[in-house]
Amino acid sequence: MSSLEAWIQQPNSTVRSENDIKKVNRLFQERGWSDGLPIIPPTTERVREMLSYCDRPWDISIGKVAPRYGDATPIRLAVNAVMAGCEPEYFPVVMTAVEAICDPAFNLYAIQATTHPCAPLLIVNGPIARELNINAGINAFGQGRQANSTIGRAIRLTLMNIGGGYPGAGDMATQGAPSKFSFCVSENEAESPWSSLSLERGFDQSTSTVTVVGAEPPHNVNDHASSTGIGILKMVAGTMRTTGNNDIYNYQEGTYPQPMIIFGPEHAKTVFGDGYSKEKIREFLFEHARVPLGEFSQENIDNRFRRKYGDAPLHLRIPIFKRPEDLLIAVVGGPGKHSVVIPTFGATQAITRAISRVDGSPARLIGDLKVN
Amino acid sequence: MCEMRKRGVSAAVICSEPFVKLAKTQAKVFGVPDLALIVIPHPLGGLDMDGVNTRVDVANQQLLALIRQISR
Repeated sequence: MSSLEAWIQQPNSTVRSENDIKKVNRLFQERGWSDGLPIIPPTTERVREMLSYCDRPWDISIGKVAPRYGDATPIRLAVNAVMAGCEPEYFPVVMTAVEAICDPAFNLYAIQATTHPCAPLLIVNGPIARELNINAGINAFGQGRQANSTIGRAIRLTLMNIGGGYPGAGDMATQGAPSKFSFCVSENEAESPWSSLSLERGFDQSTSTVTVVGAEPPHNVNDHASSTGIGILKMVAGTMRTTGNNDIYNYQEGTYPQPMIIFGPEHAKTVFGDGYSKEKIREFLFEHARVPLGEFSQENIDNRFRRKYGDAPLHLRIPIFKRPEDLLIAVVGGPGKHSVVIPTFGATQAITRAISRVDGSPARLIGDLKVN
Repeated sequence: MCEMRKRGVSAAVICSEPFVKLAKTQAKVFGVPDLALIVIPHPLGGLDMDGVNTRVDVANQQLLALIRQISR
């Protein structure tokens, strides 16, 4: 008997419904198991098919999903991936992302339960991203590509159904954000003039990775006028330096915020063309993405900043991020003069994991993970 | 707080009304489903000192009741 068959035998592991898509969906909505959109019924056959791309034991947890600290077994994850509409080939990306968000440094408990509108942003790098056709180009953060939409959605359903992140219980977001439905892109490595996010974070070019960021939705940088690198970077700095920003105050000493700038390829080309390495971009934005103390409300100055900055003058410029090296940089998107700034929850660290076989070696192609 | 309770130390968590469900769920997850909650009106952030003091009074009444209950 496979671990899936054994799992099905356990009490309360399955629900029965008439073979009617509307009735199945009504049942899932009533039980609070959906994000509000219709789901694909996770039948045993579909779950088994999803698990055909899982070379690990199907019933052994790969992480505990806060705030319920539910065990993320491949079987449970496969149920949520089916519901989300994932193709089985996407499943290794879902599992790698779940491993990453369960890393303690990601601080999933806070990301899930907070009133802040953050969600795990998934950035997929490497050959597998291209193989799965994860959108890195036009409208990558938007609708239209099955891989982006359903991988991101599988993470949200996992956060709800395994992690207990139900609105008003495990998820206390004041307003939430549309990015909480699905938030998954691939980096446009082909059009990036710099080394990829994945390479910068210690992986080689042939290794595919998933990076997770505890992120706000993207804040747009519209710049159709600048024709120089410094012009674009000034506009980016202006978009970064906002007062209602978690990164500027929600952190602990020693664990610093890692906000993100994701350049559109045209902006990236201009910035690079004027001699800006990622290191130089970081130094520039560290210096210029700052908010003068006097721009905060008096209550914020008194209750938040005076404790840290003492009697500093109101023109003191408070940095959005505390060390240049903490700024994350990537390239995503198609033609056009736009980039995005992505603030984070603050008290969270980005995590990158390789898409790997059970023995820990990186999978070169998604087919390496097919088990039957 | 849950860890303190598990070690036999009397403990309670202060939370505002909308967070009661989260607090109860977490107490259950961490193995102390009967963890005492001291519930105050929402919000706590952005209050002036009068507002804070009102909540202190609400919390203190529950805290005293809890101490009496434990002392019995």
